[in-house]
Amino acid sequence: MRKHLSLQYILIFILAQVAWLSLLGLWIYWYVSNYIIYSKVMEKTSTQMISERTNIIALVGGLILMVTVSVGMSLLFARLKSQIKITRFYDNFIANVTHELKSPLASIQLYLDTMNERRIPRSKQKKFLKQMMQDSSRLNDLINSILEISGLEQKKIPHRFKIVAAAPLIRSLVKEAGEQFKLQTKAIRVEGGVDCRIVVDRNALKIVFNNIVDNAVKYSAQKAQLRVHLKRTFKDLVIDFTDKGIGISAKEQKRIFDKFHRIYDVNVPSVKGTGLGLYWAKEIIKNHGGRISVFSEGRDKGSMFRIELPIYRTSQKRYVRKLLKMTQKMQKRLESNEGENHA
Amino acid sequence: MHKKSRILLVEDEESLARGLEFNLTEEGYRVTRASDGKKAIDVYESRNFDLVILDIMLPYCDGFEVARRIRVKSPQMPILMLTARTRLQDRVKGLEIGVDDYMTKPFHLRELLLRVRGMLKRKMWYQASTKTKPAYRFGANEIRFDDLTARAGDRMIRLTPHEAMVLKYLIDHKGKVVSRKELLENVWQIFSDVETRTVDNFIVRLRKYFERDPAKPIFIRSIRSAGYIFRE
Repeated sequence: MRKHLSLQYILIFILAQVAWLSLLGLWIYWYVSNYIIYSKVMEKTSTQMISERTNIIALVGGLILMVTVSVGMSLLFARLKSQIKITRFYDNFIANVTHELKSPLASIQLYLDTMNERRIPRSKQKKFLKQMMQDSSRLNDLINSILEISGLEQKKIPHRFKIVAAAPLIRSLVKEAGEQFKLQTKAIRVEGGVDCRIVVDRNALKIVFNNIVDNAVKYSAQKAQLRVHLKRTFKDLVIDFTDKGIGISAKEQKRIFDKFHRIYDVNVPSVKGTGLGLYWAKEIIKNHGGRISVFSEGRDKGSMFRIELPIYRTSQKRYVRKLLKMTQKMQKRLESNEGENHA
Repeated sequence: MHKKSRILLVEDEESLARGLEFNLTEEGYRVTRASDGKKAIDVYESRNFDLVILDIMLPYCDGFEVARRIRVKSPQMPILMLTARTRLQDRVKGLEIGVDDYMTKPFHLRELLLRVRGMLKRKMWYQASTKTKPAYRFGANEIRFDDLTARAGDRMIRLTPHEAMVLKYLIDHKGKVVSRKELLENVWQIFSDVETRTVDNFIVRLRKYFERDPAKPIFIRSIRSAGYIFRE
């Protein structure tokens, strides 16, 4: 239905362009034929009826106007196309988020109904309560992530950047992610060593790591196996996350970091999600002045996520200084707020 | 009798599945859980069930596909779709595949249990009554209630479970006027005073299948402001 609609728009656009161009053609034809008639008449009467300069101005001016109109239309069309894309994303988002919100809610309601309508032994009651708490924290996480992403886009989230030694931080973040997703120590290991410092917000980077590990777990047919490799180039620290999951097709690799994008493929487990995780990761890394990218040779060949973060050096860098300054400002503001509150 | 019914619960949300399993077991049903589409089809093909509760968004193979596969193997299996999707097109798609009932999350436990009980009761009634007479002939038509097929002259027709049940109910009450309300209550288990076109739509379809001239029906006749009557 949507496809049909955008096809319609393209058709309208092409028709409009054809109409303009025909008009232009017709006009030039009319101009040239008239010009020839005028010249002939002029030759015969030997009078100077029309100034040639005005003619050329009219022609060139007209052409410029036509081109302007045409360009304007193209711009409008491009804008319309992006609007359609946004609407589609939005629909995707509504469907995904509705599902993600309703599932824990349904579970909470079920347990409440159960406890309300049945006699439940004490031990079972505790289990049910625990389950409900897990569901409500899932709801909370989801709502927070939506709010934080929108804050991040508007640069309202206070990042707390610090200069830290890279290797120990990454090792501890990987360990934490492994624990969170219940991976065995063998299933996720860090290789390679680097001796450098980076400027990061630990909590934000933790979100990135968790998202990547979460994806590896979700998109692995067997138990997830992850290798995190560290190296450095002249300017950057490079962190590679390689998994043995189901891989990503070349087409999907391009769109995987898009907002609300989710892969729909019969061979891929339709794991639930909002389509925000990797977009969030990308935004965070971008805020750190780094890059995130994905490589995969295709289906069943596993995938590799690469994060590149700028290495901190004392002699440089405006960007790093800016980040640190931002954090200081934010902290000062927080402190003064706290001071006011205490007062 | 239905207390020992076997239910296949296909739900990938661990906590919801656990809660449902607990409640259904408390009601006396035997519950088997499957957490993705592929597993659901495997389990379904290896064992016998009386009812399936099915989520739509499942890993590997979605609920619609699972329902389709179940329908191919057993046209009469009651399927209750339980999903967070509320869009009309999902509902329509489910009903087109032949899902018997559709509930959206979050739902009320008591309502779910009532619907499950109703679906099982209908299944039992249908099975018991079709076992003794699996086929029925009238005019140039023959209906096979066991595999939900029918022959109208030379034409072969696949019936949906609801179509077959409406027909069965009318035939069982041959010569008596059956009201719309009665059909709604016994076939759809809908207990409501709300006027509905559901029954009429089904009758229109059945007439198209089995009447020579659907505008002047011979077998399934309307009785003004009372309902329908089946006559041979």
